[in-house]
Amino acid sequence: MSALDILLVILRIAFGAFVPLSFVAVLVWMERRGAGYFQDRSGPNRCNVLGFRAGGLIQNIADAVKLIFKEDIVPGHIKHKLYFILAPTLVFITAILSFAMVPFADTLVLNGKEYIMQAIPADLGILWFLAVVGFGVYGIILAGWSSHNKYGVLGGLRAAAQVISYEIPMGLALVSLLTIYSTVNLSEMARFQGQLLFGFIPMWGVFLQPLGVIIFIVAAFAETNRTPFDLAEGESEIVAGFHVEYSSMKFALFFMGEYVAMFVSSALIVTLYFGSYQIPWFSTETLVNHSKPVVFLLMLAMPVAAYFFNIWMKKNNRSQYERPNDPRVFEAQVYAAVIWSIVIFIEIIFLGFLIFSSGAGGARILVALLQIACFLFKTFLMCFVYIWVRWTLPRFRYDQLQRLGWQRLLPLALLNIFITSAVVVSLA
Amino acid sequence: MVSTILFSAFAVLAVAGAAGLVLLRHPMNGAMSFIMTLIALAGLFALLSAKLIFAIQLIVYAGAIMSLILFIIMFLNIGEKDLPDESNRWFYFGGGAVVIAPLAIFLLKVVNKLPSCEATIVGDSFGSVKGVGMVLFTEWLLPFEIVSILLLVALVGAVVLAGKREGKL
Repeated sequence: MSALDILLVILRIAFGAFVPLSFVAVLVWMERRGAGYFQDRSGPNRCNVLGFRAGGLIQNIADAVKLIFKEDIVPGHIKHKLYFILAPTLVFITAILSFAMVPFADTLVLNGKEYIMQAIPADLGILWFLAVVGFGVYGIILAGWSSHNKYGVLGGLRAAAQVISYEIPMGLALVSLLTIYSTVNLSEMARFQGQLLFGFIPMWGVFLQPLGVIIFIVAAFAETNRTPFDLAEGESEIVAGFHVEYSSMKFALFFMGEYVAMFVSSALIVTLYFGSYQIPWFSTETLVNHSKPVVFLLMLAMPVAAYFFNIWMKKNNRSQYERPNDPRVFEAQVYAAVIWSIVIFIEIIFLGFLIFSSGAGGARILVALLQIACFLFKTFLMCFVYIWVRWTLPRFRYDQLQRLGWQRLLPLALLNIFITSAVVVSLA
Repeated sequence: MVSTILFSAFAVLAVAGAAGLVLLRHPMNGAMSFIMTLIALAGLFALLSAKLIFAIQLIVYAGAIMSLILFIIMFLNIGEKDLPDESNRWFYFGGGAVVIAPLAIFLLKVVNKLPSCEATIVGDSFGSVKGVGMVLFTEWLLPFEIVSILLLVALVGAVVLAGKREGKL
């Protein structure tokens, strides 16, 4: 193994482990500010470090400090302490592991060697996700059972029944998708979606499987126990469900596990149905062959975007009443300086690329970075859909939830399989 | 070298889990040790580069079936006091060991007599989803379809039985 091999192994595993973790902070922030936006209020925006609030992101640090320094209680009535402690770790570990086979850029070719851009470069793809997510249920069951508490058991029962029954429509929606892609490997699926349908529509899963995408997204919402399917927590009925007896970092592990699961299922929805890392109409080869014009366009676009963002920020980041030496205006000025220095730094790198780049290696790394950015942007938007739904729809009743799963989604998914297979066979 | 260590680790875990399933009294402990066995078996399949079987072992056995069993244990909330009296079970364990011992010795001898051969990594398509699918749907199509019909019958039967009870209520 050369040094490059080892470096890329470390980079890919670091991406697979730390990007979901960083997204926890982003998602918690987005959840709160999003809730504020949908309810016509500001959301948390007062926490600051030396007057810098980072748009409310500092609130996360306050939360983390609170959760870490809380007393870590294992209630006295708990008999099976091993399972009580195992449960939150299981939920968290399975959530992170399930991201391991999602590709975040096209296969990187450096010095004639291919590097599959997944944390674990195996070809199990979607089967790995299904296997690992199945273990997440154990965490919830064990938490509910070992809590030895009526609310805990009820929450655990609800969560387990819900996840098990929604795995079926999810799996069936996947079957019709696999018929089209004719592979389970997520990297190959992503490459398939780089083609064009009728020469002008990107061949994304969402255009080939309009019914399947709806079934899959609904099932994914239920799998992650998010509103409108968050009966397992159901604050108004069973307090907090399966994590009612947990405190401090054990609770934080459940909390982070939920957000990581949300990130992973958004990433999976993007990978399966929204073109994965593919930038629409620009295949990897096109981008690599035209890397210099692409870089030139980016060099033009970045200052323009930064300029408009700064205008927007200066307009909004000020006190709403008269204040002498408004500290928020100063804050916005500092942010503007930071943004401009980042822009200048990237411009210098791009300029260096334009002048010194020769051969395909640099261009391929650049395209991989662009695709990672595209993948993360799409995932970010899909996460926003989760938050959008959470603050728009009320919670289902339990019988409504099971009826939706078994009587609506299951027949629809079967119908989808029949239609898809008929079309695939007639076209073949 | 690494694969030998992994094989020993998985084998020890599998046997320990199976022993735990029989020896531990609480049903939850038994179920959890059985899950350990199933995961260790999946690891052994992975060592044999049977990727599809590895995934299926994790999804179907370790994932779906065992989570249903755990669900039932939680649903019925079985505790130590609900279990039948098994004070003489060590006597049964001892008797079982005596009965099985000759068979075990025979098996050990047979395994030791096997000619040793170097383990080699077979082609890339072996055990992968595509490889197994090709073999299954060309050479073994009829057995596959018969087994599918068996599973379908079981599924229809389950739906009919569940539907009947609902009608009476």
